[in-house]
Amino acid sequence: MSKLVTTGLTKAFSGLVAVNDVSFTMEEGEILGIIGPNGAGKTTFIHLVSGILMPSSGRVEFKGKDITYMPAHERSRLGIARTYQLIHPLENLKVIENVMIGAVFSRGKSLKEARRSAEAICAELGLERLERDTAQLSILEIKKMEIARALANEPEVLFLDEVMAGLNSDETLQLIATVKRIALERKMAVGVVEHVMGVIRELTQRVIVLEAGELIAEGPYETVSKNPRVIEAYLGGAA
Amino acid sequence: MKLKSSYIVVAVLSVIAIAFPAFLGAYPLNVARSIMTYMALAISWDMLLRSGQISFGIAGLFGLGSYASALAVLRGGMDPMLSIVFAAAFAGVMAYALGFAILRLRSMYFSITTLALMEIFRIVMHNLHDFSGGPEGVVLPSVIFKGASPALYWLCLAGLFLTIGVSWFFEKSKMHLALTAIRNDETSARSSGVNIFNYLLIAFVITSVLQGMMGAIQVQSYGFTTPDTAFDANFTLLPLAMALLGGIHSTIGPMAGAVLLGVASEWLKLKIPYGHLVVYGIIIILVILFMPQGLFGLARKARRERSKAGASHE
Amino acid sequence: MANKRNAAIFAALIVAAVAGILVWRPTVIIYGLQAAGLYASIAIPMGLILGIVHIVNLAHGEFMMVAAYLTYMVCTALGIDPFVAMIPVALVTALVGFIVYKLTIRQALKAPELNQLILTFGLAISLTQLANLLFTSQTRKMSFGYVSASLSIGELSFGVYNFVFVAIAVLMVIGLRLFLTRTTAGKAALAVGQNPKGAAIVGIDVDKTYGLVFALATGMVGMMGAIFITRSSIFPAVGSPFTMKSFCLIAMAGIGNIPGILGASVLLGISENFLKAFRETRGWADIVFFVLIITVILGRSIKGKKA
Repeated sequence: MSKLVTTGLTKAFSGLVAVNDVSFTMEEGEILGIIGPNGAGKTTFIHLVSGILMPSSGRVEFKGKDITYMPAHERSRLGIARTYQLIHPLENLKVIENVMIGAVFSRGKSLKEARRSAEAICAELGLERLERDTAQLSILEIKKMEIARALANEPEVLFLDEVMAGLNSDETLQLIATVKRIALERKMAVGVVEHVMGVIRELTQRVIVLEAGELIAEGPYETVSKNPRVIEAYLGGAA
Repeated sequence: MKLKSSYIVVAVLSVIAIAFPAFLGAYPLNVARSIMTYMALAISWDMLLRSGQISFGIAGLFGLGSYASALAVLRGGMDPMLSIVFAAAFAGVMAYALGFAILRLRSMYFSITTLALMEIFRIVMHNLHDFSGGPEGVVLPSVIFKGASPALYWLCLAGLFLTIGVSWFFEKSKMHLALTAIRNDETSARSSGVNIFNYLLIAFVITSVLQGMMGAIQVQSYGFTTPDTAFDANFTLLPLAMALLGGIHSTIGPMAGAVLLGVASEWLKLKIPYGHLVVYGIIIILVILFMPQGLFGLARKARRERSKAGASHE
Repeated sequence: MANKRNAAIFAALIVAAVAGILVWRPTVIIYGLQAAGLYASIAIPMGLILGIVHIVNLAHGEFMMVAAYLTYMVCTALGIDPFVAMIPVALVTALVGFIVYKLTIRQALKAPELNQLILTFGLAISLTQLANLLFTSQTRKMSFGYVSASLSIGELSFGVYNFVFVAIAVLMVIGLRLFLTRTTAGKAALAVGQNPKGAAIVGIDVDKTYGLVFALATGMVGMMGAIFITRSSIFPAVGSPFTMKSFCLIAMAGIGNIPGILGASVLLGISENFLKAFRETRGWADIVFFVLIITVILGRSIKGKKA
């Protein structure tokens, strides 16, 4: 069974259609790229799937269960986690607490158990000195913390919204390897939004392309990148 | 080791607080009771503030507790001690019902609504002449414990201890994670499985119970109340100023602020009978402008900077 | 479409209700309008600050109170009429407002909203208690013959003086409209209110504009303080209910909608005076606006959620 299925998912903001009739599936263990020019509706799409926004119409299913109008906190308990394009550290909590929170509230662990599993996740990502304030972290460390926080939910489906943005190429390579390894180990379905096509090529097995809210192409990166419609969408966006 | 020594400090301070009536007369005990009441209100206000919600309606729940307790004794013939429990529960139930509507509001809309609710409670008590005694208020047949000041002191202290205990629990349990996450970023909190509305409701109900309880203790200790004393804006204003001065988002900050401002205002009240509260207004302004983290926030910052300096020397 | 029809039905209902009350109890409408004028003319300056500086000034009514005391002192010392004193008083309050803005509000503009709310709350308390300190809580009153002017139509006789507030409210709305659309400073203020960053990019001095708007609004409320003392006795806490009422009216009208404050004031004034018209309900008149404010705020939050 597919992990995540959307059918005809649509979101309109007072007349402006941000996501238009998008149907797609995500399978266990796959890393899916979500690409498209700026303003194509990628982040809105993730908002709809993770429950931060409610769709105007259409349907979202998680392992066959209808979750279209389920609130975000319940979805994270069910197994859908995500990071944000604009980083959202909880600045009055320590790094370890930032990561623990998903384990406590999504997984219902005690503070002690949650701390232990958060420490394990941080070690896996190479995030150290966890008693620090978030203000003391570098960009790479903040990105890692955001990923760790999502992983603490122990998700089956994970969305990473531009986690590589702002990192240099070494850091990007390092993080790509980590994400790949973790996705494989945990058999997660991972959805990745990135602007750097190199990252998409390295990381994903399949991509979907959004333009003006519509899904215009789907398939392996190599094929999709030669699709004339996709090229036009990007050139049109650039012009 | 460090933990143990702080437990000892807490135990010693508690014993001293409990033993006060042994070496203090009626007047200082009276002052102590007033400070403890404000302290409990300051802590409870701060507990909700940890979620980012600013209540301007402390006096509302406090007054509601006062009236619930007084009327339960007067009209229902309830035992005074039991009426305090009843009043606390009543404030909790009211907060639960109101919370469904008002906890969907944020920032200034929440604040103004809590202020408006307080006024509504006051006007209702003003106008229900037959039930609540109208503007003249209610007079109880007798003061609890026959007005013995040590007993009244211990009653108030018990209310304060309960408040401190609950606040400490808030700091040490997952409430701390939930409320801080809600305050910092609601979207992130939701994505990490925090049911925001539930946690706000829990915090609002619990703080209302504590405020209602303190109101009930107050009315039973004085034996009378009126709409203008029970819903006195000072019960909102003073706790707020105390918490800000000491340092918000903690238990110890509001406590320190209450001791400082409580003692200062007793002294000022004697020096300047009219308008000594101007000091509170000025303190609020100065604290917001120059040390928004309060005294304890300043101390924390200094300590962190010292440890940072120490670390870079290594 | 459906919205428009609902609005039309709603408007028709209100007109019908007003017409009904007018025939049955004409004084409710007359005094309701007069009260509305007072509410609106105090709320409009606050609406200006909220719309442009985006600060809820919880010390708004207190500025009026301070101006009223100032007028009282000037008028008793010099023996002049408040309508004469109102100009220097307005100028002085504007100056005080400007200084308060520079010293306090400006520092908190970038701080979280919590700090702003508590800061102006602290200002309100300081001003009230300062008045307490200087004047004690005793009420002060000045009497003027023209205040008791009345008019009789048939059997109906009523005071007309308070219509002056209706005139002031209408003049304020017109004056502000002209200021905001016709003058350079006004246009700049409007731009800053809509988009401070954008305004700064095109070279508008945002800080100066905020200071100007704050001074203008406090000057206006200072003028209201001077006129207020002609009809009411004053005491240190006299201003604080007007802070709440003003905020309520602005929330009803929607932030930035200054003419809407007039409509909201009429609704509040008439509802209050409706309850005041009957002995059994007189004591409940004060509750009207607290219920209104909560209804409006909750209604808006539910509507906002749906949109």
